[in-house]
Amino acid sequence: MTTPAVRLQHISKSFGKVKANQDISLDIHKGRILALLGENGAGKSTLMSILAGQLQPDSGTIAIDGENMELSSTDKAISTGIGMVYQHFQLVDAMTVMENVFLGKAGSFLLDKKAMEEEVISLSRQYGMQMSPAKYIADLSMGEKQQVEILKLLHRRSNILIFDEPTAVLTPEEAKALFATMRSMADQGKAIVFISHKLEEVMTIADDIAVLRRGAVVDSMPKKSVSSTAELAERMVGREVLLKVDRIPMEPRQMVLKVENLSHQHLQDASLIVRQGEILGIVGVAGNGQKPLVEVVCGLQQPQQGEVQLLGKDWQDFFASRKWKNGLSYIPEDRQGLATCRGLTLLDNFLLTTRDGFSSGPWLQRQDARQKAEKLLHEFDIRPPDLDAFAWQLSGGNLQKMVLSREFYRQPHLIVAEQPTQGLDIAAMEDIWKLLLKAREEAGILLVTGDLTEALAVCDRLAVMYGGRIVDTFARSNQEKVDQIGQMMAGIS
Amino acid sequence: MLHLRIIKRQDPLGWRSCLVIFGAVALALFFSAMLLALRGTPPQEGIIVLFKGAFGSRWAIEDCLIKAIPIFLCSLGVAIAFRLQIWNIGAEGQFCLGALGATWIALSFPDQPAWLLLPAMIAMATVAGGLWGLIPAVLRQKMQTNEIIVSLMMNYIAILILDYLVYGIWKDPTSFGFPMTPEFSEAAIVGKIGSTSVNWGLAHCVILALIVWIFFGYTKTGYELKASGDNVKAARYAGLPYNKQVFLVMVLSGALAGWAGFIEASATVNRLQPSIMVGYGYTAIVVAWLASLNPFYIGIASFLLAGLRVGVENLQLDLQVPAAFGGIMEGFILLTVLAGGFFISYRFSFAQKK
Repeated sequence: MTTPAVRLQHISKSFGKVKANQDISLDIHKGRILALLGENGAGKSTLMSILAGQLQPDSGTIAIDGENMELSSTDKAISTGIGMVYQHFQLVDAMTVMENVFLGKAGSFLLDKKAMEEEVISLSRQYGMQMSPAKYIADLSMGEKQQVEILKLLHRRSNILIFDEPTAVLTPEEAKALFATMRSMADQGKAIVFISHKLEEVMTIADDIAVLRRGAVVDSMPKKSVSSTAELAERMVGREVLLKVDRIPMEPRQMVLKVENLSHQHLQDASLIVRQGEILGIVGVAGNGQKPLVEVVCGLQQPQQGEVQLLGKDWQDFFASRKWKNGLSYIPEDRQGLATCRGLTLLDNFLLTTRDGFSSGPWLQRQDARQKAEKLLHEFDIRPPDLDAFAWQLSGGNLQKMVLSREFYRQPHLIVAEQPTQGLDIAAMEDIWKLLLKAREEAGILLVTGDLTEALAVCDRLAVMYGGRIVDTFARSNQEKVDQIGQMMAGIS
Repeated sequence: MLHLRIIKRQDPLGWRSCLVIFGAVALALFFSAMLLALRGTPPQEGIIVLFKGAFGSRWAIEDCLIKAIPIFLCSLGVAIAFRLQIWNIGAEGQFCLGALGATWIALSFPDQPAWLLLPAMIAMATVAGGLWGLIPAVLRQKMQTNEIIVSLMMNYIAILILDYLVYGIWKDPTSFGFPMTPEFSEAAIVGKIGSTSVNWGLAHCVILALIVWIFFGYTKTGYELKASGDNVKAARYAGLPYNKQVFLVMVLSGALAGWAGFIEASATVNRLQPSIMVGYGYTAIVVAWLASLNPFYIGIASFLLAGLRVGVENLQLDLQVPAAFGGIMEGFILLTVLAGGFFISYRFSFAQKK
């Protein structure tokens, strides 16, 4: 084989006691797409941050085109030809596509609009994208914004492109287009790294696959040698994972949530019912009205029109006298921003919604809470298992486990779970599904998810949302309807 | 070649953040010494005179303690608001209203016994200070005003009210036209501790600090304030009453500053006069930051910055350095401490470049 575009050798990096990367050696080749697969906290992000110049390894070497390099800063990495497409786009909303593409680039003081426009158009043509250079970023869809990010890198002549879970924010169509772009870039000699949790995607697009586990590369192989996603999943978590969980049908009992003709922001005339003993899955592409629905149901926004009843009480009554136990548990998608306080310890974060259970009079019984929380830490295998650690020290997956442990501890009768497994690895995903199914014995669950596999695995009934409306609600067992979900999500009915 | 890199800290700094504060204060001292050198005062001698003046004698230390008491109480107050990220710059005005409230009681009921009069003065001072603090809070939550601007502006209003009263209806008829109230009755004065010149306000500080510490560490409301202060969105998520919390912290903040006003009027000057307003409420902000909002560190920092005030008086007498020098030093300290905050989240790393 030719010299690899990037050769990582014996890279190690620790954060305090946590070894995020241990002795990692990896080759990235020109003209090929390498998929990087691994559990949460397996060290993928750390490794890529090292490559992007954001972090410096404690030991090990990086060779670009056979030459040893020290990527001491992001500038250095960019000038070496390494570009990263982050999950959160780094674009200026109030500027146009071409201005963003040329942003931050050293060059002449004056800008030549004409030349900028031509460059953007020719670059996007070259890689099979469609882009109008004069559009403002604020007016673009997520997929288009991502294309701008890619154009930025292409314009900087990046030869090694890293995509950090690029499909998380895309519709299936957009994802398909992205894959075509990635393929075309690879064909034109670029080296591509693709980080993903979605096994099907990896099987579709990758040429090579590297599997990370606990900070080390445990497997590295061409895709040809992998026969199925199941095999890949097994290699990734180190044990057989069945993506099917046993769902024993239950008799739905009393109604815990009733939404009637609710209109709020771009949500239109939504009605639904959730009963104890069932999981109602809300499926659909993000941004089709799920957010206002959840925010109203969870008390973050007052309903503008229509009626919402929780556990038999009116919205107003329910939220005026919320109870910590046997009430509503909300597991939001935004763990860092909404469900936790990053500057507080795990113990204090545990108390965030359970505080009423640990207070007598004005006093907060921290010792009691500490004992209970300690147990939960071990039960849910949250790392580090230290109640005095700060929330900002935890990885996203561990933070989510912390939130889940706290919310399940409250023995809720109504659970609203929003993308509960997003960004989690397969093993954790399965655990969470089992927890939801178990919780269903006592609770009614509203599960908002963009992942159809998840919805089909755990839900008893499904509601499809499109354009702010609930298109249809049907039982999971109704195979005819289930087959049409894709069309309903796309607004074809 | 040595190559400098800025790295975000992965572990909390813990007690070592003290070192950062000490470094910042040392740097501020260095700048101040340079300033002395610029105006022709020997810097070394200047700093020595400053320290001797502040901590060099029993009298000086007692004076430091007397000045530290109002600074401490104001700072304890602003720290409560700062916890919730409500920027109360109005301690000066709340202090003033506290002094007014206490004076009103003292002048209205001069013949009541101390056990009745002093608690009544405290109550009135804290109510007046607390309500003065509540105004910017209500405006902020109901009309989206900026509490920094409003609380700052209200300081000037408070001082003008004080002037109006001592030049007008409260003026002592026997004061030969000086703007001051009559002296308080014996019962309205907080006494001195033993044979020292330090008043019992010191004990008030210790008790109030303990209460604040217990409040934040052991009560549900205190915990809820901490959570809201860290993340407002999470507060909404957890159903915390954010509006009420803002009102609460501003009332508590104002009440503590008002208490300071009571002690200053009752124990230190024994009457109300315009010279009572010497900027303790502003020093309190510097102190709160120096102490990272921790009640015990606020105690230490209050004493040190009170020392700065006392020391500068000495500097003025011995080396003819203008009084404004104290304010400049205070400014230096605040700036270096704020800049030092950078080192609490980041560190430098030197790597050998190949």
